[in-house]
Amino acid sequence: MTRYFSIPLLAVFTVLGAVLSACSVQPCYEETDPTLNTLLFVSGTGETAKADSLRVYTYRETDTLRFIDTGVTSSFSVPLDPDSDQSLFLITLNGVTDTAVIRYNRLPHLVSPECGYTLVSDITGLKTTHNIIDTLIIENRSVNLNGETNLHLFY
Amino acid sequence: MAKQTCIFFISLFLLGSPAVLSQDTVTVPLHIRAGFDISGPVLKLVDRDLISYGVLGSVDINSAVAVAAGFRYSSFRSSSVLYDFNSRGLSITAGADYNFIKANVAKGKYYAGIGMRYGLSFYSEEAPMITYTNEWGTGETSVPAAMHTGHFLEITPGVRAEIFPGMTIGWNLYMRLLISTGAGKDLKPVWMPGYGAGTRGMATGAEYFVSISIPYKKIKVFIKPRVQQSEDEEETGNENTQTGTGNSGFNN
Repeated sequence: MTRYFSIPLLAVFTVLGAVLSACSVQPCYEETDPTLNTLLFVSGTGETAKADSLRVYTYRETDTLRFIDTGVTSSFSVPLDPDSDQSLFLITLNGVTDTAVIRYNRLPHLVSPECGYTLVSDITGLKTTHNIIDTLIIENRSVNLNGETNLHLFY
Repeated sequence: MAKQTCIFFISLFLLGSPAVLSQDTVTVPLHIRAGFDISGPVLKLVDRDLISYGVLGSVDINSAVAVAAGFRYSSFRSSSVLYDFNSRGLSITAGADYNFIKANVAKGKYYAGIGMRYGLSFYSEEAPMITYTNEWGTGETSVPAAMHTGHFLEITPGVRAEIFPGMTIGWNLYMRLLISTGAGKDLKPVWMPGYGAGTRGMATGAEYFVSISIPYKKIKVFIKPRVQQSEDEEETGNENTQTGTGNSGFNN
């Protein structure tokens, strides 16, 4: 008689185990912040450049957001404004400041049920001043979680 | 009834046994089965955000193989500070089950085998509220309701036994392998009806079916005698030795 009940009991425990594991709140371990990744190059030679100092920030009505403030570097990564279709960055390279405006389309992307959605972007265009920046070109339009380089900055 | 169940379990052990069986012909009834998954309503009691009702039908083709098809309606919703998500739809699975139990043991009443099915999920998903925050601040967006068609494969090992004439119970584990959610790489469903979490390539779980079974035909199955070869014959590979001649010692 015990064996008669073994099949349904095992099934019930299996189902309950699956349900309880599914219902428990799982932490988020994945990367959820897409960044615009930029490499620095020496204008004319195309060789990788190392800036002595780099600051990237933006002014808002109420405050200043500082994304990067570092010494020697050959690349930087900044997030895009998730509440707008364009982001304005002030880029100070070796003490000289340029302004860059990046335009993009935002798309929701499901990271995981635990982490929820993030916003990935497709770059549609950019503008920059040329105080120190020679050219800023789009290498890869997709700003996502893959960590690929998006822009090449020549100065 | 306990006796029947004992026979059923004993038959499982016989599967892997090299026991010598007698040459015989048995008459086996073929069945049409129709049942429903009672794990769906049980899950509803535990998790109110998931509704899943499934029915499954199968028809025996011969003593070992049955074609099977299932329909499942699922509805799922999730709400958190990060997002709200809803999906619902109908999934269809079709494939075949293979019974490992020999016909003379199973007698059309017992099943321990594996099924393989192809699944289609016709579903809608929407995310009415999505918030995302980074250094700039918080952005809000939504994903409007849209219909998609997902594909998956399902492998279902399981057992089944006839507890009363015409009444069968059984359960099976399932391993579903996602082929496509049909929603693109960015908008994979949090829950794809009939499959599970759309962000995972594999979904596992269990189903518990209560079915009615109706015999529709009887067939005669020839039970092939098994020949037990001696180790010496296998090692020497004697070409003159005829297999199945009865000199290796099987009992009638």
